[in-house]
Amino acid sequence: MSTNQIVEELKKHISAFEKTVEVEEIGTVIEVGDGIARMSGLTKCQAQEMLEFPGGVMGVALNLEEETVGAMILGEYKNIKQGDTVKRTGRILSVPVGEQMIGRVVNALGQEVDGKGEITTKQFYPVEKIAPGVMTREGVHEPVQTGIKAIDSMIPIGRGQRELIIGDRQTGKTAIAIDAIINQKGQNMKCIYVAVGQKESKVARIVAKLEEAGAMEYTTIVVAGASEPASMSFIAPYSGVAMAEYFADKGEDVLIIYDDLTKQAWAYREISLLLRRPPGREAYPGDVFYLHSRLLERACNLNEANGGGSITALPIIETQAGDVTAYIPTNVISITDGQIFLETDLFYKGVRPAVGIGLSVSRVGGAAQIKPMKKVSGKLKLAMAQFRELEAFAQFASDLDANTKKQIDLGYRITELMKQPQYSPMAVEDQVVVIYAVNNGVFDDVEIKEVSATEKKLVEFMNKTKLALLDKIKAGEWDEKIESELKEACKEFVTIKRSTNN
Amino acid sequence: MAKISNKQFAESLYEITIDLDGKDLELVLQKFVELLFRHHKLTQATRIIIEFESIVKKKEGVVELEITSARELDSETIAQIKKVFGKKVEALQRVDNGLIGGIKIKMEDKILDGSVRTQINSLKKCLVNN
Repeated sequence: MSTNQIVEELKKHISAFEKTVEVEEIGTVIEVGDGIARMSGLTKCQAQEMLEFPGGVMGVALNLEEETVGAMILGEYKNIKQGDTVKRTGRILSVPVGEQMIGRVVNALGQEVDGKGEITTKQFYPVEKIAPGVMTREGVHEPVQTGIKAIDSMIPIGRGQRELIIGDRQTGKTAIAIDAIINQKGQNMKCIYVAVGQKESKVARIVAKLEEAGAMEYTTIVVAGASEPASMSFIAPYSGVAMAEYFADKGEDVLIIYDDLTKQAWAYREISLLLRRPPGREAYPGDVFYLHSRLLERACNLNEANGGGSITALPIIETQAGDVTAYIPTNVISITDGQIFLETDLFYKGVRPAVGIGLSVSRVGGAAQIKPMKKVSGKLKLAMAQFRELEAFAQFASDLDANTKKQIDLGYRITELMKQPQYSPMAVEDQVVVIYAVNNGVFDDVEIKEVSATEKKLVEFMNKTKLALLDKIKAGEWDEKIESELKEACKEFVTIKRSTNN
Repeated sequence: MAKISNKQFAESLYEITIDLDGKDLELVLQKFVELLFRHHKLTQATRIIIEFESIVKKKEGVVELEITSARELDSETIAQIKKVFGKKVEALQRVDNGLIGGIKIKMEDKILDGSVRTQINSLKKCLVNN
């Protein structure tokens, strides 16, 4: 474009510009502190509306009272003082959304924090939005492969499901979430990891790990750090799901992880108490249930008429000393479609991931499992249930009848088999093979401490010699022929194993 | 019982004193001060007075304006501006060189911004966005 053209273009724009007298509605700050401001004026202010404080700092109106408006301040509130003028913006809080968000680390307002340059997107989505209604949804039918044997087999998760990850501190809750993200490579899934009130060092470690695993290519990280105001922790999960909705609206599948909602509830409690809303149980405000239910309802599996996208949510809740009857854990358990329970005892016994099979459930995920997995996991679940009942008798091993002893032995072997190191997700077809093998006695004559080594050998053997069979399993095919092929393969493996051992 | 706000005190004082004068007014005021004392509200007296003043202005239809301009305005212009906003207008004048030109009028919780600075800013926004 020549200079003349540019000048012409500018002239056109300038002549098209209309002079107008701007009418602004304003208020005056009465009181400010702890991330909260109370203002007089602002007579026509809407709920959840953004307000502009001097210096460009934004706030969100939360309390609309007779004389005053109470707002939380998003960002630095040190420079706001009594008597300052506050402007209405007429806009509801929204965050930038788009493809540009992928691979980035952003704060709760969607601004970059990774130093890779400003993010410019065309679209903005409101942070608070009503969840999709009944007519736009359909049942969960496609699986989310987390790559974790214990979960994919016994507590399966489907696309559009909300599965809670719950446990004490240091039981590997985040580890499961990160493994699930890493395993989404090539599964046609976008991931959003929302870190609420986490240590910045932990977030940095996670980002580095995801980059190393090549998972940042399809992941966005939303950070509201422990040093940021409570208002950021409060809105971060909503910002995250707004970014997820962009992809879901385009018909894509999204996995979103909220790590963790306990801290979001704390942040909301802080804001509510400062706004002088009446405290209820455990000093949480009355609408703390709605806080989480409106967030988790936005996870959905849309039907074809609505684009067929989905948002799968994995909220994380941290319990104190295993107390799941506290207020927030019971709330979120009742909202979600199941939970993965992580137990401290198991963790220290060396069962990692420390999934407590007895207390963990998935209410809808079973419908989403691939057929081979469904077939083999049924037997596995039964064996584990029997094992749990009999485990108490295990110390009387010498007095037990052969059948009971066999079941206990199998239980130990399955427990051993479900162990899996961090950052090493397993493909679903390999999982099917391994579970089929343990169900059919391949591991029966293996020493317990040798189980994982044998498992590795089995997977190697299958990947070397039976690729066609694995492909069929991966595609979800399962009939008598495939089963017999699998049986033959297992037999073959046992023979090879015996011959090498001797 | 909920605490009585300053505004409620001011409003009730206005209602009671509106038709009074002379001795009655004095008596009512004395009683009012006693009431404030009983409610431990004497410390709030200045704020109640401010509330009272704003109530009086509102009831009598007085409009308060704050006119900010880039340069000192002559009395004729101000009289013209006042005329636009009604009969009883109290205007406060301010000078802010930063406006470059034009005027900015603040009334209650609204600002009418006709300053050159704002126009230039919105022109900038308009050009950048296109």
